[in-house]
Amino acid sequence: MFKKILIANRGEIALRIICACKDLGIRTVAVYSEADRHSLHTRFADEAICIGPAKSARSYLDIPSVISAAEITNAEAVHPGYGFLSENADFAEVCETSHLTFIGPRPEVIRRMGLKQEARTAMDQAGVPILPGSKGVLSSVEEALELAEGIGYPVMMKASAGGGGRGMRVVRSAEELPHLMAQAQNEAAAAFSNGDMYMEKLVENPRHIEFQILADNHGNVEVLGERECSIQRRHQKLIEESPSVAVTPELRKRISESLRVALKAIGYTNAGTVEFLMDAAGNLYFIEVNARIQVEHPVTEMVTGIDLVKSQIRIAAGESLSEILPFPLDKFIALRGHALECRINADSTVLL
Amino acid sequence: MTNQEIKELLQIFEESGVAEMEVQRGENRLRLRRAPTTQELEAPVAAPPPPPAHAPAPAAAAAKTAPADANHTLIKSPIVGTYYDAPSPGAPPFVKIGDTVEPGQVLCIIESMKLMNEIEAEMAGTLVHKLVENGRPVEYGEALFAIRPR
Repeated sequence: MFKKILIANRGEIALRIICACKDLGIRTVAVYSEADRHSLHTRFADEAICIGPAKSARSYLDIPSVISAAEITNAEAVHPGYGFLSENADFAEVCETSHLTFIGPRPEVIRRMGLKQEARTAMDQAGVPILPGSKGVLSSVEEALELAEGIGYPVMMKASAGGGGRGMRVVRSAEELPHLMAQAQNEAAAAFSNGDMYMEKLVENPRHIEFQILADNHGNVEVLGERECSIQRRHQKLIEESPSVAVTPELRKRISESLRVALKAIGYTNAGTVEFLMDAAGNLYFIEVNARIQVEHPVTEMVTGIDLVKSQIRIAAGESLSEILPFPLDKFIALRGHALECRINADSTVLL
Repeated sequence: MTNQEIKELLQIFEESGVAEMEVQRGENRLRLRRAPTTQELEAPVAAPPPPPAHAPAPAAAAAKTAPADANHTLIKSPIVGTYYDAPSPGAPPFVKIGDTVEPGQVLCIIESMKLMNEIEAEMAGTLVHKLVENGRPVEYGEALFAIRPR
């Protein structure tokens, strides 16, 4: 087990990781920007290192500063939390070459999961249901028109490197496809320096269902049930719950089995979330993999009794899932009770 | 209290010139306080946060122990890394206390990710303090030297 871990994050998740480390008897190093000098995470960690000015690009996102902080404090591993550098494959790679254990998937897996079309192909090959759509990147408008005809309108055009709603267009007819595709392509090229597009069937009013997974460095993958986050507002999740009332035990078992195969084939390690859309008929379709711990992970912890952050650390230290999990591998985990997490938004502030 | 009432209270406060005012109406209470003027700022304004329950890291503690002499300018570390006061082990240090330094003169090296970064003086003056021991880790913004500008 590690003796000391650096936490490359701040706020709630940094505190969450510090708590997990305290339980495991691991010393912690917090990093902070000049603006966060007196934040809680700097005070609860055993050591705290200032890594830069308030601007996160020059502190929490500055890879050399974070790595240097780990080096001067003799930390053995780095937990990236969520956001910031958590899904940055380059950072994971620099950690590796600096002899620091990155607590997350391997860099090449993070990179592959970031390219949505690659992730989609990998899932499809393993038998995970994906949304009907293009097999790979679209090469021409003609190909897109022909595909859309087969899938049936409405379809969704998506940028391969996309995110945050950019490079995305809903296409409802063949007439509007060419110019909407061009628009999305230009947007994606400008935003992500990559204009590759793919197409998916549009599921209207879908449920959002995501499966929590843990995978060790020895080829074992476990699926810890699902979370439902259909209640959203402005593309932000408002309520997360587990289990989902729409997932039957049979469906959970079937998806869990196919995810084990898929993630093992991908070589996925550590914690991750696999997101699906559910249509009105109850069919699940894979959309993407989040290669990090998520904000809403406690919902799963409540119903499974498994500490996901501690599991992440133990997996990174080389422990097997059979040592970490309180139940035998390949036995389906029993979900107990029902957990809800709500986001509280400060909606409008009154200017006095 | 409505926004209109608060605006009126603000106006009364402005015109009165008092330093502080508190108004209670029903369950609402409004306290208005004027920002201290520069003369008043000499005393510390904000109370320092309570010390952490355990001993802070040596690197974090050192940054705050730099001597606060108004006549001195502190040279602070622009990066996180390991401090070296000489170009190589055994070589004489770049600068000694009492030396005169010129802008652009190398004062020390900070090693970060195996790269040696030379830290230069930003102004001419006399070196009055060396605040970090050779070979010790430094964080961003940690004071390295105090210089009395010329």
